[in-house]
Amino acid sequence: MSTLDTGHIFEAKNLNYNYPGDIAALRQINFTIGAGELVALVGANGSGKSTLLKLLDGLIFPTGGELLAFGQLLSEKTLKDRTFVAEFRRSVGLVFQDPDVQLFSSTVWDEVTFGPLQLGISKDEVLSRGKEVLKLLNIAHLRERPPYLLSGGEKKKVSLASVLSLHPQVLLLDEPTTGLDPWSQGNLIDFLLQWADKGKSMVFSTQDLDIVEEIATRVIVMGTEHNILADGKPEEFLSDPDFLLRTNLVHEHSHRHRELVHRHPHLHEYQHQH
Amino acid sequence: MKGEGFLTRNISSFTHTLESVISTEDLCRALGLLQGLDPRVKVATFVLFIVMVGLARSLSILAIIFVLILTLSFLSKVSLGFFLKRVLLFIPIFTAVIALPALLITPGSPLVAIAGKIIITEQGARTAGLLFLRVTDSLSFGVLLILTTPWTKILVALRWFRIPPLLVDILGMTYRYIFLLLHTANSMFLARRSRTIGSFSGGENRRWLARALTTTMAKSQHLSEEVYLAMLSRGYQGEVRVLNALSLKRRDFLWVAFALIAASILLWSNHL
Amino acid sequence: MHIPDGYLSLATAGTMYAVSAPFWYLAVSRVRKVLTNRTVPVLALFAAFSFVLMMFNVPLPGGTTGHAVGGTLLAIVLGPWAAVLGISVVLGIQALFFGDGGLLTFGANCFNMAIVLPLVGYFIYKVIASNTEATSPRRLMGAVVGSYVAIVVASILTGVELGIQPTLFHAVDGTPLYAPYGLNVALPAMLIGHLLIAGPVEAVVTGGVFAYLQRSHSSLIKADAPKKKEGKLWLLWGALGLAALATPLGLLASGTAWGEWGVDELQNMGLGFIPQGLQKFAGWWPAPLPDYGFPRMGAVIGYILSALVGIAVVVFLLWMLGRWLSRKNLPKQGVPSKEESAG
Repeated sequence: MSTLDTGHIFEAKNLNYNYPGDIAALRQINFTIGAGELVALVGANGSGKSTLLKLLDGLIFPTGGELLAFGQLLSEKTLKDRTFVAEFRRSVGLVFQDPDVQLFSSTVWDEVTFGPLQLGISKDEVLSRGKEVLKLLNIAHLRERPPYLLSGGEKKKVSLASVLSLHPQVLLLDEPTTGLDPWSQGNLIDFLLQWADKGKSMVFSTQDLDIVEEIATRVIVMGTEHNILADGKPEEFLSDPDFLLRTNLVHEHSHRHRELVHRHPHLHEYQHQH
Repeated sequence: MKGEGFLTRNISSFTHTLESVISTEDLCRALGLLQGLDPRVKVATFVLFIVMVGLARSLSILAIIFVLILTLSFLSKVSLGFFLKRVLLFIPIFTAVIALPALLITPGSPLVAIAGKIIITEQGARTAGLLFLRVTDSLSFGVLLILTTPWTKILVALRWFRIPPLLVDILGMTYRYIFLLLHTANSMFLARRSRTIGSFSGGENRRWLARALTTTMAKSQHLSEEVYLAMLSRGYQGEVRVLNALSLKRRDFLWVAFALIAASILLWSNHL
Repeated sequence: MHIPDGYLSLATAGTMYAVSAPFWYLAVSRVRKVLTNRTVPVLALFAAFSFVLMMFNVPLPGGTTGHAVGGTLLAIVLGPWAAVLGISVVLGIQALFFGDGGLLTFGANCFNMAIVLPLVGYFIYKVIASNTEATSPRRLMGAVVGSYVAIVVASILTGVELGIQPTLFHAVDGTPLYAPYGLNVALPAMLIGHLLIAGPVEAVVTGGVFAYLQRSHSSLIKADAPKKKEGKLWLLWGALGLAALATPLGLLASGTAWGEWGVDELQNMGLGFIPQGLQKFAGWWPAPLPDYGFPRMGAVIGYILSALVGIAVVVFLLWMLGRWLSRKNLPKQGVPSKEESAG
């Protein structure tokens, strides 16, 4: 961890990303994320949240602008340096949205030990981390199970475990609670809060405004034009209904009282007069 | 109901495959004779057995081998009915049907005459018997190996036998994703069947099939790109490093000894 | 077309492993060069797709159904060598896990379905499609014809492998020890089944998917014009390869080629005397492979191997000649000649 500046986690300067064919995915993205911040990325589908997370994990590279992680530039060239790659991959973990992408190994045990093994960690340490992370997420009984015999909730747990075994400083999560039942959602949120308690950082994308309130210390709102619409504390925007409607974060709900039609944004703390 | 037959047939074959995997997973972990052996030893000795089956020349030896196989399966907690169904259904029966004409057309000394006109030759009987028993014995060994060894352990054994790690990695990952794609394809069939009131023409079915296949192909391609990123994200640099947690026990040595003795007996009997 | 264990002798099975090995080796190095780090996920997902494709029960007009192999389709989309590896992986899983195809006969099954099938199919596709654009109907025709011919060729190979068993491997009293039917039964049986059912199924699946790809994902079809030289080279290799495979059919023809009689044959033909010159020179050149057979090997296998050795020797000599001639044409300044720079 010597060469990495763990104060500044990410720095995005005029970041642009285009898909092949010059289709814009991200436009003029600027932000700095420091250690200990818990950042929620919100925005409608297609606003580029997944793409941004992949950029932060050094899996794809910007077509314009610069992205720095731990004070170092993230580019195709810099990620060819084996030492830097090893340290970076150890420090940052990405939990993909689709567990079938994340779980590519043959068994749960293979999956959670994959990361530490590839990073050249000693065999004893790999074994102990594997056991530790299975215990942490209560999935020790699933150890020899192949991924296609796991339930949705179990898959999400294994996905998380497979990244935690790297002992990362920064956790990136793509829609972690999507598809989970409320009970599992609650459990996951508690778990993440506990994990982040030790000064770690987290960037997660979500469509669910409720969990933003529960976890995030900061919100970045992405717009349909693939740029940043707002960046600040959750309290600043989440109680402004007009803002939420404008940025497509909530939908407009309508119901009838006989001939009268009431339209109001679908918020969870709203009361309307008849 | 022409159209429905086509959908149902595919759904049942897909479902059957998915289910057979699940039943296999349980058996691999039972506490039987073969389950307790090191996978490298099992793979090597079973290949040796299949080679011996290929070299055998006597019907009685091949029959004895089958009895031996049934004993092994019993000792490994595999139920007889389940095992026989898994082995005999399809390939050996298919072979028996194919071999039937050989009874009659193989030239040689007559053995039996049916209705006075149709003659089964000695050579014909022997060749049909040899083929059927060889096919059944070889297949049984393969099935027994799979029922008592987790797929991942077989891959470790292959790696140990110096099969290029690239191929072993591909084998493992292919197997893992077959079930996902089968499940996806099956869902497509089920969805279509639930919307089928009448029946579709052959042409409509074929067009739908082409679309279904292309969708599955596009999904495979998308998955392959995402999986690559997921691998990179956790440090993949071109070759998967693995834990090698295999060790030989005394029973493995005993088994190897047994296998070698059995093989020698067979080779000696060939020269009788 | 999967041959189970028990149908082929160990000698045949072993030979087919040996024949397949160089293709596997070549496939691995070619694919690695193109896909580099992506090799594992790309091949695995496409092999998984192939497996699913092979499981589809396809309806044909007239009520019959069948299964496709899809080797040509895979070769067109991913490239021929990736198809070789991908289908080999699928056959491996089918053999090991599902008992579909034997463990000893894996080499033969791979040669027929994973090596010859995609390579032949791809070759014909390239010849027919040449450098038309991705959405051209000629490409579709290339895919359909290529896949049909490829599976028929694969079935011929299977028929030969099965059909030579009784002649080569039998007990003293004539009992066939493995597959019991000779070439005169096995070949027609395989041919008819594949010309009429499996071939059309393969063509329908390949054509159907390819047409759909042309409409909706045409970027997946590589339409770059092959370098002229490369195209002609493919043609040559393909033709030679097919010719080599067809040589055992010569065994079916009884008798010896006109004009190539040896001394004993002449005597049997009724010539009362042997031309003196012939007698003196017959047997002078101790050919390393008399009568085209390798010692201790089956006649047909020997035939094919001789053809391959013969081709290799001829190609080598021609190549040496080419190098020698081009060296003579080197301009004085050390600028490489056209052949050197394009080679």
